[in-house]
Parts: sequence; structure tokens; C-alpha cells
Amino acid sequence: MQSVQFEAPGTVEQAVALLAGATGDARVLAGGTDLLVQLRSHMVDPALVVDIKHIEETRTLVRNADGSYTIGSAVAGAEAHEHDRFAAEWPGVMESWDLIGSTQIQGRASLGGNLCNASPAADSVPAMIAAGMTANIAGPGGRRTVPVEDIPVAPGRTSLANGEFVVSFNLPARPAGGGDAYLRLIPRTEMDIAVVGCGVALVLDAGGIVTSARVSLGAVAPTVLLVEDAARAIVGTRLDDDALAALDAACQAACSPINDKRGTIVYRTQVAGVLARRAARIAAERAGSR
Amino acid sequence: MTGEKTEFKWVGTRAIRPDGHDKVTGRAKFGSDFALPGMLQGRVLRSPHAHARIRSIDTSAAEALPGVKGVITSADFADQPAELAAAGEALVNYRDMVRNVMAREKVLYDGHAVAAVAATSAEIAEAALELISVDYEVLDHVIDVDLAMEPGAPILDEELEPAGMEASGPTNIAKRVDFDLGDVEEGFAKAEVVLERSYTTAAVHQGYIEPHAAVASVSEDGQAQIWCCTQGQFMVRAYTARLCGMETSQIRVTPSEIGGGFGGKTVVYLEPLATALSRKTGRPVKMIMSREEVFRASGPTSAGSMTYRIGATRNGVITAFEGTIRLEAGAFPGSPVQPACMCAVAPYDIKNVRLTGYDVVVNRPKVAAYRAPGAPISAFGAESIIDELAKELGFDPLQLRLKNAAKQGTKAAYGPTFRRIGYEETVEQAIASEHYSAPLGPNQGRGVASGFWFNIGGESAATVNINEDGTAVVVSGNPDIGGSRASLALMAAEELGIDYTKVRPIIGDTSSVGYNFLTGGSRVTFATGLAVVEAARDAVRQMCERAAKIWEVESDGVIWRDGHAVPASSNVGDFEPLSLADIAAQSPKTGGPICGHNAQNVQGAGPGFATHICDVEVDPETGRVTILRYTAVQDVGRAIHPSYVEGQIQGGAVQGIGWALNEEYIYNERGQLENPGFLDYRIPVASDLPMIETVVVEVPNDRHPYGVRGVGEVPIVPPMAAVANAIENATGVRMEHLPMSPPRLLAALDAARLPEAAE
Amino acid sequence: MARILLTDSLSKQFTGGVADFEVAAPSVRALIRELEERYPGLGAQVRDGFISVAIDGDIHQDAFLEELAENSEVAFLPAIRGG
Repeated sequence: MQSVQFEAPGTVEQAVALLAGATGDARVLAGGTDLLVQLRSHMVDPALVVDIKHIEETRTLVRNADGSYTIGSAVAGAEAHEHDRFAAEWPGVMESWDLIGSTQIQGRASLGGNLCNASPAADSVPAMIAAGMTANIAGPGGRRTVPVEDIPVAPGRTSLANGEFVVSFNLPARPAGGGDAYLRLIPRTEMDIAVVGCGVALVLDAGGIVTSARVSLGAVAPTVLLVEDAARAIVGTRLDDDALAALDAACQAACSPINDKRGTIVYRTQVAGVLARRAARIAAERAGSR
Repeated sequence: MTGEKTEFKWVGTRAIRPDGHDKVTGRAKFGSDFALPGMLQGRVLRSPHAHARIRSIDTSAAEALPGVKGVITSADFADQPAELAAAGEALVNYRDMVRNVMAREKVLYDGHAVAAVAATSAEIAEAALELISVDYEVLDHVIDVDLAMEPGAPILDEELEPAGMEASGPTNIAKRVDFDLGDVEEGFAKAEVVLERSYTTAAVHQGYIEPHAAVASVSEDGQAQIWCCTQGQFMVRAYTARLCGMETSQIRVTPSEIGGGFGGKTVVYLEPLATALSRKTGRPVKMIMSREEVFRASGPTSAGSMTYRIGATRNGVITAFEGTIRLEAGAFPGSPVQPACMCAVAPYDIKNVRLTGYDVVVNRPKVAAYRAPGAPISAFGAESIIDELAKELGFDPLQLRLKNAAKQGTKAAYGPTFRRIGYEETVEQAIASEHYSAPLGPNQGRGVASGFWFNIGGESAATVNINEDGTAVVVSGNPDIGGSRASLALMAAEELGIDYTKVRPIIGDTSSVGYNFLTGGSRVTFATGLAVVEAARDAVRQMCERAAKIWEVESDGVIWRDGHAVPASSNVGDFEPLSLADIAAQSPKTGGPICGHNAQNVQGAGPGFATHICDVEVDPETGRVTILRYTAVQDVGRAIHPSYVEGQIQGGAVQGIGWALNEEYIYNERGQLENPGFLDYRIPVASDLPMIETVVVEVPNDRHPYGVRGVGEVPIVPPMAAVANAIENATGVRMEHLPMSPPRLLAALDAARLPEAAE
Repeated sequence: MARILLTDSLSKQFTGGVADFEVAAPSVRALIRELEERYPGLGAQVRDGFISVAIDGDIHQDAFLEELAENSEVAFLPAIRGG
């Protein structure tokens, strides 16, 4: 391992300058729960590591006046619990964040890191996508905002250009009649990489009919999927058995997983449908109870 | 000798463990915590191939790298003749051992050591490994035990001559063993119900959280010192001396605190390499394994394949049991197939038993002992088929076991007649437990299983030294993997009659204490405990003699009571009791230091039995299993330290549950290990399991002053079948292959549902 | 007379299949000498070949000096070590 240059800038501009000016591989350090493991096992060998945790924008979680949230990319899951309303308004996003690693990991793990590590099995990403979150990116060309689902492009690779990093996320205000949920399947109760993950966010009208929905699947394709057919299967329904069966089938059809040491194609595909049905029911229960 | 006292002051209490504070504060020194000035870092180059001939190795570029002080290959170890040595459970050939620590003609598994480097830093050592070029001729490989037995399988060792059978050509079968009791044909003829089933289990690692680590320092006069984490410092000394061509007396091995062993640290890997590198470089050398190396290159236990046939009459008497057990040994012979055969139906009184076992080599790391080696594997199948038999006969599974229970006077399938044992008691307590009659909900099921392990005694040497202030030090020679230090101190305190906190137990190195057989076989609290008790009694005898001298009376006029020497009767005289401190203070005048000794080869270890109850809930749509409740009933003889006994039972049960549900080695088609880490090698995490309830049965072993039976190994024997039986009761699906991971269980559930869907 | 029980492997190798027989011997050491005389190789194997001895149900890793009673049952089994 070559010696690493370590920087901890205090502003977004300084961070961008460092990342853009790096001559070798440069990595962003938020919680470090992926990066440190990769460094120690020699999976990555960067020349430069930029710690963004001294930049205030990356470390704050605020509920805006309109009910939306701005979440710093380096906020840790455990810190999100300290906010008095966040977990109650977006329980699906919170529970997905709570599933990253273990209790100890959640003391550090961030949404920014989880997203930009670009694992197809990242736990927070399906819930973020289902919730319709967007990412605020800073780079040499200035700022831009994109949907979260546009960032991972392949296992381990993002669409971020050289010198860019995610500063914060926008989470829409919880709509009236809205509910979300995230479920994942792992053989144990903690620590495993998701075999399948499913995030569902939906809105019920006063009569209990689904008026809008977003369904996202993780660990069943090279990147986390936004499954529009699955949403279409339940919009306009009361999530009766037929609608859930259609949701199940749409999710199964969207899967293109691999056989690997964590799960088989057959298993992942079948369970994706099961989790979608269950997550949709939970999201609807949460929506109905508002 | 035994049973005079049923109420003890210290034995049976939950005293604070002597290593507790250091372990929870991080102060405890484990194998990799040791450092010496001028120490070099060693690293091992490992084969990326499952099976290949080594055409040549060129280390010149590595040797030339600045910072590299020495490189070794098999050329640095003399070849060893084929000569058997006891190594953990199996017999190891020194010829095989020298090849396992460093490959010679061939590499036989992904991870097999090929060369090692010592350099001034770990980074330089690792860079040097990349500069070593090995010319391999890659060969076909085989990693499955049944495939390895078939004609035409790739052969690991052309010279291998199987023991116990004729072979018509080169083979991977290293040994065949047979056990025969009564007449199975007659037994099956008498049976009204006969079942036949086949089962497989996966290779699993002992899963100790501390990887192997050693520091070796060889000085110019040929004396070597080794600090390492091990279950047996005397074993390390013997094997390192042999492999490095040194005399036993030239090596001093100090065992560190150990972060788990479970049998996996009863052999050597790094110690001979570090010693050879230190000798070559003239500097101390430290070597540690990464977790990946632990998985790729240290022995797991065998994967197994077995076929059983069981026969019984309708009134529940098992009349015959027959089976074939095939265990893979990894790259060199020595799987625990013999004890697997011997333990399979040991809890039962069956008049006609025939078991055949095969020890088969495959291109995987050489297996090492793992907690009751062989028994959990064979018991998985035996306890599963007995469960099916119970259903077939309409018997409650525990009642069927009770009806056929081995007891005093039962002849075991492997030969001897049992003396007083506690198996029936474990079944009775299981039946009577609140757990066994607790209600179950939907998708939930309850399974039971029993298990057996022999336990061993062996050589132990102990000293009890009385300090000037009346406190005592207990010196013995067994690394503490199960709470033995606390138990030894409790027994010594009981014998000496002083407070437990005044007794300090330490573990000596090979030069400081007499020979001790390694820690394993559930022997330490039993055998070393016995030696400690005798050494304490020796110290007491000496102190009585000193008191007699002080009082100027005959030595038989003094007895020991409550930690004091007192006159045996008023006839002897009117003397104030003398404490250890009083006697120690006067010891220079009365004869010198007071040191109690004992050294013996302890025999008469009592076998252990257990019966477990497991409740599971199965998610029918995902195949995921949750362990809801688990009760382990075990006969422990006497619980010297109840918390430790419970801990051993819980730990064994947890390892068995992991073996049942999710643990396995996953290989790719090139024979390379894909999951050499705890992320994807799935041992249970704390949140996976409920508190394991333990029911401790005490049927004392009359060969030990406190009735101790070995405890640590029995609890891993029943869980796999207990879980499988519970899953069957929850779902109606019988799983015959381990692990019963969610994809496999879901596929089995789906297959079972198919006929329903077709209707 | 002590009753001697052999494993199948031992009986196949040394006694032509006889696995249950009687020998007069007051100690294990004497027994080994007797076995070696009756079945050449068997005594040596029992002494040196990592065989455990169960005397009246008690398993001994090393039984060399153990005494045998009038009707002791002596079973030879593969050595047990453990993990």
C-alpha cells in the first residue's frame, strides 16, 4: 500500500479542489465503514483521501419549513435518530439506514457513503429511491441535483465526474396519506449483505386507494432498480390479493440477479416478490394510520 | 475419595474469573500482542491453485528486495519419514505434517503454504511475496468426498496406501474402519420397521475469533523461544522441534491468552515457519494469519456423507443400526471418521450395530479437530433417522430415546461396557422441562436430539506453591479455553481451605511446568483439576508436617481444618490453629519453601451425554429459520464453576446451530474458496439466538475427587439434528443436507408444495 | 480371566476375525505380552499404535501399568483425543 495523502477540508470548495486536482485515485471519507475495510484489505489503494466531515453541510440533518428534509451526506444513522420527527415521518428510510451493518456500524455509516459505494445490495438505496430522494452534488462545474437512482451505474461505479462528491440529499415532505417501508432478506439477523432488499413508498387517498407509488429493489441487478411496472401494478388498487400478485410478478420480472455466495438467481427472484408484497402492506398500514 | 462432602465452600460457586478484568479492558495479551526488539514480520506465500505440481520456485527477487532478511521454502525443512503422531483427534504422519506447513512436491489446496518471507515491515514482506515466482503445473482437483472416492477421480497422492482395505490402484481413500456389534442381519430380520436414509454435512470452521499468531526467536546458541496462541504448548514444542530438526529441550514455548481454539489450535502452522525464519535471519520473527488465511489454510472439520439403516419393532425397541460414514480429511489423511462411527448411536442400547467409515483426502485444507470431532456429523444423521423412526412408530421422540437409552451395563457399539452414566437423566429432565410442554404457534416446530462424547484424561502436572503471606499460586500447563483457571483455583481453594481470591492460577510455559497433554478432549478441569487437587493435598500434608515440627508433636497428630493446621485431638496438645500465613512465615526454619506437586497420567474420564430441545419458526415464503427457544440438558458430573459450565454448553449449542443453518465453505469451479471471511462464512451473530437455556444434571464421576466429567464437547453434538427435527415439525419437510440455509429450505418447501398445487 | 474385545479393524488385521476372547493376565502389561505371543503384532500395535484401552468401561489413554481384576472386560479402541 502506498502512503496516502489525507486531507480534511472545511469547505465544499476546498474539497472539490482537492478531489479535482488529485493525480491518482482519490476517495471521499465520510463514516469510513466501507473505505477503511477496503483500505485494510487492499481492495483500494488511493493516493488521496478527503475527509468531508469537517464541512458543515455534510453533517446536518434539517427539516425545512415545507416539511422536506435536507440530509448531509456524512450524517450517521445513529445521529438521524436524534431528530425528533425524521424517523416517524420516513420510517422506511430510517429502517433501511438502521440495517446497514450493525449497531456499531450505524454509529458512523452515512447515506452518502452507502450510495456512492455503489454496491447493488446497499441497504439504504432502495428506500431512498422509493422516497424520491435527490442528491446535491458539488464539483468543478458547480452544483447540480439529480435523482438518487441516477448515481450508481455499475457495481462499484457512480456517475459522478472527476472532482465531484455528494454534499447532501433532499427528501420530499411526507405527503398526506403517505407511507414507506423497507424490508430486506438476510440469512442472519445482522451483518449480512442483503440477499434482496425492497423499498416501497406509496400514497393512499381517503378511500384507501393507492394514488401513487414507487417500488425499488436492491441486490437483484447490477444497480438498485426503480421498478415502474411494479408501481403501476398497485396504483389505483386497494392492494388486494390480485394487486399484490401483480406487484410480485412485476418485481420478479425486473430482477436480473447473479448466482453468488450470497444467493441464487431463483431465490433472489422469488423473494423479491415476497418482500415487495410485504413492504407494500406495511407502507399502506403506515399510510392509513396517519 | 469422592462424595464425602456435598456442600462445598468454593466448588460450585460463580467466582469472578481470574482473567476477566484483563479481557474486558483489552489488557490481556493474545498471540499477536507479543513483540520483541528487532523483530521481523513474516508473511506466507500461498498457493492460488487447489491442486498443482510445483515445478520450481524462484525466490531470488524477493531475497534481493531491501528490507527482506530471509526467505524459506520446503528446502529449509528436512523431509520427514512416514511416522505417526497424535495431533488433535486424528493421527498425523510427520511426512504429511512437514508438507502441510510448507508444500513440497505439490500444492494440495487453495491457500497451501509455498514459501515464507521475513522482512523489516509487513508491507515489505507482502511486497516480497509478489516477487516470488512459482512455476505450477495445474492439475485437476476434487473437493467432494463422494466424488473423490469414485474411480477416475483426480488423485492427490499416488503413493497413498489405504489402511484397512485393499485398493486396486491409486486412490484417495486413506483408511477404512469397521465397527461391528452383534449381528445386524439378525437384527433387521427381527425388525418390523426399517428405514434407510442418506445425509450430508458441510465442512465448517471452528470459528475462533483470534487468528493464529506466533513469535519465534532463535538465538546463536540454538536455543529457541516461541510465544504463540495454542491449545498445547508442549505439542508446539514437540512438533516444531521435529520439523526444524532441533532437540525438544532447545525450545521453550510460552502460550499466550487464547481467543478460542475449539480444537483448531491443536496443531502447528506458523510456529515452525517462524522458527525457521528466525534461525535463518538471526532475529525474532512474528507471523500472524489474516482471517482469510485462517479460512484458506487452517483446518476446518470434515464435510461428511453418510447412509444409515435402522430397524425397530413396533413396540419401540431398536433392533439394528447399520451405516457407512464417509469423511473428507482435507489434503492429508486424518479425518475423525473413527470417533464419528463410535459416537453415532452411543446414547443407545442397540444389540446389533455395524458401522463402516472411510477417511478420504480431497483438495481442501487439512482438517483439524473441532469440538467432539466426528460426533456431530454422524449424530446429525443418526438423530434425524431416529426422529423419523419415532414418527413411523407413533412414539414421542424423547420417549423412544428413553426406551432405548444406554445405561450402566450397556455395551457400547465400539466395545466397552458403560459404567455409571447420566444419559437417561438428561432425557428425563428434557421430558419434564417446561420447554417441552410449552405451546407452539403457526409455522413453528419443536425438535429434540441427543449426543455423546467420550472425554479424555491424559498427562497433567501441577504445582501449588505457598507464598510467604499465606496466599497460593497454582501452576499448571493447560491454556485456558473454557474457564479452567477459575475451576482449578476453586478446587485448590476448597482443598487449602482459603479464600478463592487468595489463590492465583497461572499457566506455565514448557520449561516452567511438567509435561501436560494439550487442552482438548474436555480434559482440563477433569485431569489437570485432579492433579491440582492432589498437589494441593500434597501442600496440605507438608503444612501439617511443618505444624507438627513447630509444635514438636508427631506428624499424625496434626490435621487440616478450614485452612488451618489444628491438633488432631486434645491429647496432642493445646495449640492455637496455624494458618497458611503462620506456617509459611516459619517455613525457612522448618524445612524451606512449601510446594505441593503432582504429576500423573489421569485415567477414568467420565463420558458425557446431552439431550437438546429446539423450537424454530420457519418463514414459509423465504425459508428463513428463527430459533425461538433452545434448551440444552447435559450431565456434567459436577459443575465446579456453574457459569463456565453453562457457557460451555451454550457455546457448543451455538456452534452446532450455525453448523445446521448457515455455515459452509463455498468453492468455485477452480477449487478456490469464495467465502474466506466472517461476512460470507455465516456463523451466528448474537442477535440470531435466544438465550440458550441450560439444565445441568450432575451424575458424579467417581474417578474425580469432585465428580467432574468433561463438559465442553458434548453440547455441539445434538444441535444439528435438533434443528432439522424442529424444521420437520414446523414444515413437514425433512432436510437431509446441511446447511439448511434459506435458499435450500425454500426450494425444499416449494418442492413439497408442488403436488398440492397440482391438485 | 480377562475378557478381551477388539475392534473390527484390529481383529481383521491380527486375529483373523476373532474379536471376543479370553486371556489370563493380571495387568495390562502382562496382557500385552500374552497378546503378542498369541497373535504376533497385536501386542505391539496395542502398545504403540495409539490405541485406547477401556477397562471395565473406564477409558484409558495409557493403561500400561493398570491392573486387571479376575473378570475384567478389556476393550481396545482407537485413541480418542478431542478438540
